[in-house]
Amino acid sequence: MADTQDPIPQHALERMKGLRSQNNRGGVFTSDFSVNEFLLVRKAGFEPVGLCVGSCIYHVGVQYGGWSKNQEMTVLSQAMYQAREHAMTRMREEARDMGADGVVGVRLEVKRLEWDQNILEFVAIGTGVVHAAGHTAFKGPGGAPFTSDLSGQDFWTLLHAGYRPLEMVMGSCVYHVAHRGLFKTMGSVGQNVELTNYSQALYDAREIAMERMQHEAIRVQAEGVVGMDLHEGSHNWQPHVIEFFAVGTAVTPIAAELAASTIPDPQLVLSVNS
Amino acid sequence: MPTTLQGPSGGPLPTEAQAAARGAAWESALAGGQLPEFVVERLQAAAQGRLPWLSTMTPAELRLARSHGIKPIATVSGTCWYQYGRSWTEGHAAGWRAALQRLRAEAIVCGANAVVDVKMRTVHTDLGASMDYTLLGTAVRMEGLPASPDPVVATVPALEFVRLLEMGIVPVGIAVGARYQWLTGYLGYNDLSTRPLPTLGEFWESVRRHAHAELRADAARQGTGVLAHTQFSQLLRQEVDKQPPNYLGRHIVIGTVVETRRGDGVPHHLQTVVDMRDDVSPLLNKARGPAANNLHDKEGGI
Repeated sequence: MADTQDPIPQHALERMKGLRSQNNRGGVFTSDFSVNEFLLVRKAGFEPVGLCVGSCIYHVGVQYGGWSKNQEMTVLSQAMYQAREHAMTRMREEARDMGADGVVGVRLEVKRLEWDQNILEFVAIGTGVVHAAGHTAFKGPGGAPFTSDLSGQDFWTLLHAGYRPLEMVMGSCVYHVAHRGLFKTMGSVGQNVELTNYSQALYDAREIAMERMQHEAIRVQAEGVVGMDLHEGSHNWQPHVIEFFAVGTAVTPIAAELAASTIPDPQLVLSVNS
Repeated sequence: MPTTLQGPSGGPLPTEAQAAARGAAWESALAGGQLPEFVVERLQAAAQGRLPWLSTMTPAELRLARSHGIKPIATVSGTCWYQYGRSWTEGHAAGWRAALQRLRAEAIVCGANAVVDVKMRTVHTDLGASMDYTLLGTAVRMEGLPASPDPVVATVPALEFVRLLEMGIVPVGIAVGARYQWLTGYLGYNDLSTRPLPTLGEFWESVRRHAHAELRADAARQGTGVLAHTQFSQLLRQEVDKQPPNYLGRHIVIGTVVETRRGDGVPHHLQTVVDMRDDVSPLLNKARGPAANNLHDKEGGI
């Protein structure tokens, strides 16, 4: 045992001794990538630098909607929007400080503190990455790091689809769904009917959230938004108050645009490691 | 980056009067089976490339879409909040059908050829015997094809949509079959009996067959086949004082309608691989596709 030579490369041994910091900006990198994610980010030509975090604890407060009115709860919308924006901005600042070109795998979470239901904690966390060969063309709008909620795998795929991420765009709308009047309710008891004022409220709220997100995409001059999703949530508000939250990654074609015909056709496969 | 809340398309928040006008526009549009002017404008601008496209596609889907000449235009939706005061079962069928109608209306305005990745959603709130039926998907345009007067609605993601097209299968819409029935009477068994219960068995079979027949009829209006991915059934017993009990059987089946020819071949070769993705892999994730948890079974009589 004692006389076997360890087949570990010299640089790996040095790294374990903590001597390799000169090759890594800021020393050792930190990341919450899985092994597969790490491999594919590297395959895409990027190296992780460090975990970037931004958080914002916000007293959201209370707003009451008119009983029989469909309306946006602008005070709450503003709170949810500003808090998320603060968390994202702080994360982006940390990424800039560590010299990252962008942040991938961003998770944006809202948590409630158990001792006060009006306080919400917003956390944005992702891995800052740099281009391994030092290309700067991958930076986001205004030379700031790009942000994206795509995983490392999706990041690789996006680049191979001929697009690069610009910014994680979002739109939120907190909406009060009107209560139905007593006479209206009594008139439709026992019937199968559409409740149009409810349908209308959902349409309006979703439309506002989507338009806000689209407006952010316009501002960063994106061609489109990929992986968009709409979440509905109620953060312990009254039962008639709903939040619609639209989020996605704004993308732009890579400068030397890939011809669609050069994209290799993927093969059909059957996964065997289930 | 502005940190104060803006109106939907930038600028200041709408005034109370503007918000009310918007509400009125929704009201008259829904009543007339149309879309409000500002939604039509937004969708048309997206169709002409004056607005960034919005897509629920993943990067992998975007990649395949590009290489196959498919362009995302906009995220489109259809919503119907339906009260099932009389019949829960039939309410589900009516709600989903109305939502589908409205999703199609948005897709037509986009000049789309298809809506892919259509998902069934519902907001979980407890507002009496009612629920919202929402369909959400990405409207796409196929290169070289004119806008369709009747875009196909595919519940499969863009990746699978392309594969199906290559195989000559077109997913064209969503079909729903729903049926409920009552049965009253003693079934004539006791704790010691070991035997089939033909009355209940036949009743239950009839409920399911009726639902399936309705599904088939709904699908026949749209295509040549239906892949029924969502099935929900319940057999309930209601005790009545000094009378025979009532049994309620209800069955809902929802599926993706396809248009295809019998016996068409599959031009692809299959390769077995080890998948590098983590837990979200579309290869391993069985819950992918139209969600099965979109039936609200807490409320409703029949």
